[in-house]
Amino acid sequence: MTSPTLTRRGLLRGAGTASVLASCTKPNGPDSSAPAITDANAPAEIGPDATSVEFTLNGKTVTVQVEPRVTLLEALRLDLDVTGPKLVCDRGACGACTVLVDGRPRNACMMLAHDVAGANVTTVEGLGEGEQLSALQAAFVRHDALQCGFCTSGMLTSCASLLRRRGSSASALTGAEVNDAIAGNLCRCGTYPNVVAAVLEVAGAKASTPNAAASATKAG
Amino acid sequence: MPRKTITVGFADQLTEIEADIPAGEPRPWDADNRLVVVGKPVPRIDGHLKVSGRAKYTHDIALPGMLHAAVLRCPLPCARIKKIGLGGAAKAPGVKAAITLAEVGDRILFAGQDIAAVAAERPELARDALASIEVEYEALPFVVDTRMAASPSAPAVHQGVVRERKTEGDEPGAAGAQGGEGNVRKMPDSRRGDPAKALKKAAVVHEATYSTQVQTHSALETHGIVVRWDAKDKITAWCSTQGIFSVRDELAEIFGVPTANVRVITEFLGGGFGAKFGASAPGTRLGFIAGELSRKAGAPVKLMCDRHEEHVCTGNRPDAHQDVKLGADASGRLVALHVRSLGTAGIGTGAGIGRNAFSVYTKIPHVLVEASDVYTNAGPGTAMRAPGHPQGAFAVELAIDELARKMKADPLALRIRHDEHPVRKWQFEQGATRFGWAEARKRSEAARARGTRMRTGVGVAASIWGDFGRPGVTVTVTIGRDGSIKVDNGVQDIGTGIGTVMAQVAAEVLSRPTDAITVRIGRSEFGPSVGSGGSTTTSSVTPAVRNACEQAKTQLLAVASDLLGVPPADVVWGPEGQALGGGKVLTFEALCKKMPGEAIVATGTRGKTYGAHPMEFSGQPMQQIAGVQFAEVEIDTWTGVIRVKRVLAMHDCGRVMNALTCRSQINGGVILGTSYALLEERVLDRDFGRMLNPNLEHYKIAGARDIPEIDVVMTDVFAGNNSTGAIGIGEPSTIPTAAAIACAVYDALGVPVRSLPITPAKILAALGVIPTGGTPT
Repeated sequence: MTSPTLTRRGLLRGAGTASVLASCTKPNGPDSSAPAITDANAPAEIGPDATSVEFTLNGKTVTVQVEPRVTLLEALRLDLDVTGPKLVCDRGACGACTVLVDGRPRNACMMLAHDVAGANVTTVEGLGEGEQLSALQAAFVRHDALQCGFCTSGMLTSCASLLRRRGSSASALTGAEVNDAIAGNLCRCGTYPNVVAAVLEVAGAKASTPNAAASATKAG
Repeated sequence: MPRKTITVGFADQLTEIEADIPAGEPRPWDADNRLVVVGKPVPRIDGHLKVSGRAKYTHDIALPGMLHAAVLRCPLPCARIKKIGLGGAAKAPGVKAAITLAEVGDRILFAGQDIAAVAAERPELARDALASIEVEYEALPFVVDTRMAASPSAPAVHQGVVRERKTEGDEPGAAGAQGGEGNVRKMPDSRRGDPAKALKKAAVVHEATYSTQVQTHSALETHGIVVRWDAKDKITAWCSTQGIFSVRDELAEIFGVPTANVRVITEFLGGGFGAKFGASAPGTRLGFIAGELSRKAGAPVKLMCDRHEEHVCTGNRPDAHQDVKLGADASGRLVALHVRSLGTAGIGTGAGIGRNAFSVYTKIPHVLVEASDVYTNAGPGTAMRAPGHPQGAFAVELAIDELARKMKADPLALRIRHDEHPVRKWQFEQGATRFGWAEARKRSEAARARGTRMRTGVGVAASIWGDFGRPGVTVTVTIGRDGSIKVDNGVQDIGTGIGTVMAQVAAEVLSRPTDAITVRIGRSEFGPSVGSGGSTTTSSVTPAVRNACEQAKTQLLAVASDLLGVPPADVVWGPEGQALGGGKVLTFEALCKKMPGEAIVATGTRGKTYGAHPMEFSGQPMQQIAGVQFAEVEIDTWTGVIRVKRVLAMHDCGRVMNALTCRSQINGGVILGTSYALLEERVLDRDFGRMLNPNLEHYKIAGARDIPEIDVVMTDVFAGNNSTGAIGIGEPSTIPTAAAIACAVYDALGVPVRSLPITPAKILAALGVIPTGGTPT
């Protein structure tokens, strides 16, 4: 992202007792997760009414009219009908809303829609080529790395980002590294071992846990 | 009933029995049947929709003109409504309807109870409008702590008659509460022999108190419903539910419309774990709220709980505080067990402690299990994956280990000696070898003796459940002239992949590829089915699928008989669904083309369970499902930090229907159990009566780095119970995990931690490194 970011967390932290609107342009305190906003690069004052924001979503340019307080997740789900990312905790604790913003995994519930102006946003819907599943998505199905499927969109985006970050060295990935990459993605059905197995298979790495092995031990 | 000889049993313990098969049902798949598709690790048929974000959950439903609802909830744990009015809420920006849900004079019983609701064009506008609703409360005395509530001087939570809420998630046939005193209401006892007398005569007695916490279901998709009125007396509802028909029935009852006029859709469901039955959640009238707002606004209304609401008013697993007395005679034989438990399901009932104490170690001659519900000013509990069982297992299994140490006995040998279930005994024995039990026990003993900083320990515990599969399912199979095969049933997929297993069963019977079968589920119009509770879905639905497909096949054989010119009995069904007879072959497609009408339509139902080999469940005519789990933990005795290194889960799976999805369910049971053992706890503030951690950052559920390596052994057990031999595995697989972990902690430390969750602080307190106290229990 090229424009200065204003995250939801940073916005709330910066707001203090001042109105949220005021903090959109004049944060009271520094935000460690975002570059400092100076007069020169300050964004235009927006809100409180809906204002348009343009960004690239799964390869296509989209424009959406939303209030400054609307999160990226709400804009995706309510205004753009992109419902792969899920709202589960609404405070950055579970990762079910994970999307890629300029290639980095981010919690869409912790960003404002206006934060991604001009940025490249990829959701689970954009991981494959049209109807064609990506190798990772296909591996998730083969390894049963999903049960109810509600964490799956976020799991996939986190894992896709991991594989892209590792690039040609992905074959050296370990199960522990995959676990680290999905540490922010909660699953209630218990799919973690199968997620690890799926990622390691796509990475071309050696399976490292009993569950990751495809061989089913079966007695009786 | 036709009597047939079938082969039942498990591993090398197979035997032939005579079984009475209900009329019209095929000979059940038994140990002699070698199946081609059923049992194989077939990836789920709707997986591509879930990994591409195209699966639409209730959470994702968007209808033209749809409004979003928000609910105002009582901030106080007990209060009387002095004034209530909608104020400016009805006219707030974007608001199309507003209703009150309480009246002046009402006594509100917990923080989170329904007060009022609005529907607006966007969720944030609905939330904004709640601030305009005017309510004046008179704060009343309350109690949220289980033991404090049990005291005769505690404020009475209920003033009138308490109606017990039962759902399909409850263990079928489990006893309900009865009359009581103050906030305490006793459940019927389970008793055999005279434990008081036997304990007096016992040579060794162990006595201690074991506590478990309140756990919330925390399904990732919160409770939610979308209601649309299609006519004055006609409703379509999309609901995040484990029981489509329970939603239909409740909406019909609430709004006084015929059940035939209520259509319920649950194409995908983001988890349930026992809390999602009916149109409403246990502590909030979601169905009424969405339906009434929709009726008033003249537009569809969507109501999704937020995470806070999900924790406080949609159900939970009650806690348990169990006083256990366990006695043995001089020869080391267990002679008596007495468990007395207090637990709270908040304002509701159902704080039982399962069957482990009474029904697993059946060679203990004298047993008494007493359990009571204690009312508190908190959201109602409800069934959660094996209601009562993990609590009960934790207490009795750890008590057995503590007594074993006093007697210098091996806890595994003690279990095998007192368990009569042949499958579980086999699992204990096989598991000990596979897990390396004896060597691991020696290692932990040596480390304890040396007083090392890092310790490991191992434990083992048992699982008991019943084959609660039942009739009430009708499956329709439609084979088209074009050779298409559709299998329809109104069951919902909670995440186990029931649709995939249905396709496998149809593929098996008709000898067609799995991907040639179209399974349609998740809609009430697809025909009667069961709720996904009690581990009943697979064992209720798959027999009906098989029976329907067998009927359809019989009709196809009749068509083939005419075409081939041989009697139906002489037509052979080939391995690719072709018909052979009279030296001729008809491919499946050619045969379908010749059918007399447009399609062959057959329905199949599921009869009563007719077999329970090798052992019944608590005297009921159904198979007792056995399982054992071994766990190994590693503990840093300086910091108290604990890690579960590995779990071996051996479970009776009936006939495994799909090795891939069955294994996933067992993984899930172990992971949920690990989370319960180490991390999860609903914390209520005793002074303010509110939940302090109603989120997912302070209410901890296990993440990828918190879980053990899991070794799953699926034991095929042929019980001759129904036409496919399926049973359920969802609940049995989570029962023994926390108990096995607690026993492993005891083995590692040499001192027990008798309270869940087993946190570093409790470990350090048990070691005497830091003082005990300060916690509510």
